[in-house]
Amino acid sequence: MSARPGRGAAASWSPGQQTRFPGFDPAAQASHWDGVTAETVLRRLTPPPPKFFTADQAATAEALLDQLLAQESDQKIPLIEMIDARLATGETDGWHYSDMPEDGQAWRGSLAALDADAFSRCGTSFAEAPGIDQMALIQAVQDRGPGDWHGLPAGYVWSLWTRYACTAYYSHPTAWNEIGFPGPAYPRGYKNAGVGKREPFEVADADPGDDPLRGEA
Amino acid sequence: MHGVRDRNESAWLIPGDGTRTNHRLRRDMRRFADDDEIDLVIVGCGAGGSVLAQRLARAGWRVAALDAGPFWDPDTDWVSDEAGSHHLYWTDPRVIGGTDPVPLGSNNSGRGVGGSMVHYAGYVPRFHPSDFATLSRDGVGADWPISYPDLRPYYEQIEQELPVAGERWPWGDPHGYPHRPHPVGGNGEIFLRGAASLGIEARVGPVAITNGRFGNRPHCIYRGFCLQGCKVNAKASPLITHIPDALAHGAEIRANAMVTRIEVDERTGRATGVRYITDGAERFQRAAMVAVAGYSIETPRLLLNSASRRFPGGLCNDFDQVGRYLMVQGAPQTAGRFDAEVRMYKAPPPEVSSEEFYETDPGRDYRRGFAIQNVSPLPITWAEHVAAQGHWGRSLREYMSDYVHWACLGALCEFLPQPENRVTLADETDQYGLPVASFSYSQCANDRKLMRAARSVMEDILRAAGADEVITIERYAHLVGGARMAADQQHGVVNGNCRSFAVPNLYITDGSVLPTQGSANPALTIMAIAARAADRLIRDARGGAPDGPGPGD
Ligand SMILES: Cc1cc2nc3c(=O)[nH]c(=O)nc-3n(C[C@H](O)[C@H](O)[C@H](O)COP(=O)(O)OP(=O)(O)OC[C@H]3O[C@@H](n4cnc5c(N)ncnc54)[C@H](O)[C@@H]3O)c2cc1C
Ligand code: SF4
Repeated sequence: MSARPGRGAAASWSPGQQTRFPGFDPAAQASHWDGVTAETVLRRLTPPPPKFFTADQAATAEALLDQLLAQESDQKIPLIEMIDARLATGETDGWHYSDMPEDGQAWRGSLAALDADAFSRCGTSFAEAPGIDQMALIQAVQDRGPGDWHGLPAGYVWSLWTRYACTAYYSHPTAWNEIGFPGPAYPRGYKNAGVGKREPFEVADADPGDDPLRGEA
Repeated sequence: MHGVRDRNESAWLIPGDGTRTNHRLRRDMRRFADDDEIDLVIVGCGAGGSVLAQRLARAGWRVAALDAGPFWDPDTDWVSDEAGSHHLYWTDPRVIGGTDPVPLGSNNSGRGVGGSMVHYAGYVPRFHPSDFATLSRDGVGADWPISYPDLRPYYEQIEQELPVAGERWPWGDPHGYPHRPHPVGGNGEIFLRGAASLGIEARVGPVAITNGRFGNRPHCIYRGFCLQGCKVNAKASPLITHIPDALAHGAEIRANAMVTRIEVDERTGRATGVRYITDGAERFQRAAMVAVAGYSIETPRLLLNSASRRFPGGLCNDFDQVGRYLMVQGAPQTAGRFDAEVRMYKAPPPEVSSEEFYETDPGRDYRRGFAIQNVSPLPITWAEHVAAQGHWGRSLREYMSDYVHWACLGALCEFLPQPENRVTLADETDQYGLPVASFSYSQCANDRKLMRAARSVMEDILRAAGADEVITIERYAHLVGGARMAADQQHGVVNGNCRSFAVPNLYITDGSVLPTQGSANPALTIMAIAARAADRLIRDARGGAPDGPGPGD
């Protein structure tokens, strides 16, 4: 696909900015969700501490994930905990590329490779490297595309990282606040589907012309 | 609804009190002993397996259908949440390769009673008459041993049983649907608007979602979580459309039973039953007939794992046909950005389709064609679409914050069957110690051309509807083939009635028997093929023209 290198650092948008849907908070609607769904979603707010990754691996993974989703120190979504829990119970996507090991091993191997890159670039582990270097190291993996990276196809490593990272991030109710998605919809359902229509519990985009592509031109 | 209920009472066997499962029917279910030689054991309770079980149980056969996954209760097992639905997918390990590896799991493989239809989107178009003879008409693909008129009565039956809602269908063999079309949401509105302004025909439907009450199944509540399992019982899956009736007629559904091997008697050459693992113990169910319906990856894998002295290269594999000609549809997904809020997560993801580009167009440099449909990715799937453009970090978050402004279309391109696109056994083993499936996929030149053509039509439609930007991701959808039907055993694994060429009392009744795939979503056709195979079996058992030995002989 048309990968556009350098997208990580490029945007002017700031992650703290959650003003597109002022006051929107899907989790506050949890009383309208069915019990089984509510339990599943709310359990995500307090995941258990990592047990699949070693402390070092967890530190590397956390730094990587925070970069991939531009997470800053306060109010972080617990990505590392959510991914660790999946790997600890073998909750994979149900397939792996023939030239990649299974997911758990691929995670461990790619984190070690990222640390090795950090040591040769900055003389520190990835987690201890300055943010700007972390971004450059990540960008270098994406830029390799289908090429080899420490014995793994870089594109498949990229797919592994982003798949797990996005699944964890966008499963969290806090992430739904910033994208205007109301989350679970049973048993209430929707009554106002259609262009320009909203339910009473949905919030209008305060900045509808903020097309990321247009802003770029 | 006279007629449907007489044939299939499932919708009336579901509780009408707001709960979704008839627990009494399950508690009172008939249970067969392992050493009782039943008339038929079925492997897999998805689209094909469930229809077969229901039809034959009604005809008085003693049937047990085994499924590796759970016997779902939508109230307690399913959630209105994307990540929380992971347990619906077949996630035991599988290896993918080839020049265009096809991701499995959530994308195309279910596990549990109801099969992949538990989390399928719910589009249920028929195949076109041309689909059954693409080789002689278009010089590509394969000819089926059966033709469209053979399936038409079964299409009509299943459309009533699901039931299907949609506008009158002008393409292929023109036909109507039992339920009126659903109102569309923002995404469907955009598709209709863009298509109208380009003069492209588009229609609402056809979807297997009740419009109005059907038996005790309620109306859809337009909540958009069809791909997570319908907690409402509005979207059809065999769990609610065929299994209840099968139970009421004495079938046993044995959930959490993973079949590991089909046994064949070396002396008679006939299948004797299946080995399976349940609760950690290996067991053997005797049966006079075996039907495999584990879908396009697991069916070939089970046959290959059932190798014996007589079948050293895998059961039914004397001519190296098992696992081959596996197909996926090229499913590029194009999204368009609108200043207005579309909020595509509302209303069912399946809404509007166009089959205007389905047939071979002599003016193009490719054969066969594609269909276009709405798809409405929820946030996680949408993030995959955005991340595929290369975004990460801040730019990913910024793009994602724009979610409510995007509309999305998906194409289904008729990729051609090729012998090297196949399942083999990997060195890796699963939790039961069995070799897992390795699935290799590579596109041919025609496939790539279709993908490009479909993409440009979708971009045109979205632009015509007013999109200021469009972005596309290349994906795949649906699996079919892998144990195809053919005129003879040199070219396929089963005949037109789904009976295997090699073992007279072994049938395959799932998506793996399809020789070509058209640009249609496959579930309706799989069910129709299974219903037809069932009719043949019932007729033969009554002493009609025998296609093969039935039960009791
Ligand atoms: C996300 C998604 C969207 C889809 N959208 C559509 C759509 O809109 N329209 C459409 O027509 N189709 C759609 N499909 C495809 C459709 O669901 C499948 O084509 C269809 O269900 C296949 O039917 P089947 O009987 O071959 O297999 P399945 O329905 O998959 O059933 C196979 C069953 O066999 C069981 N099984 C497998 N191996 C074993 C074993 N060894 N022992 C015991 N049990 C076993 C499995 O657990 C499973 O329950 C979609 C699929 C997915 C996943
Ligand atoms: S949109 Fe309708 S059919 Fe789809 S899951 Fe919701 S209620 Fe069921």
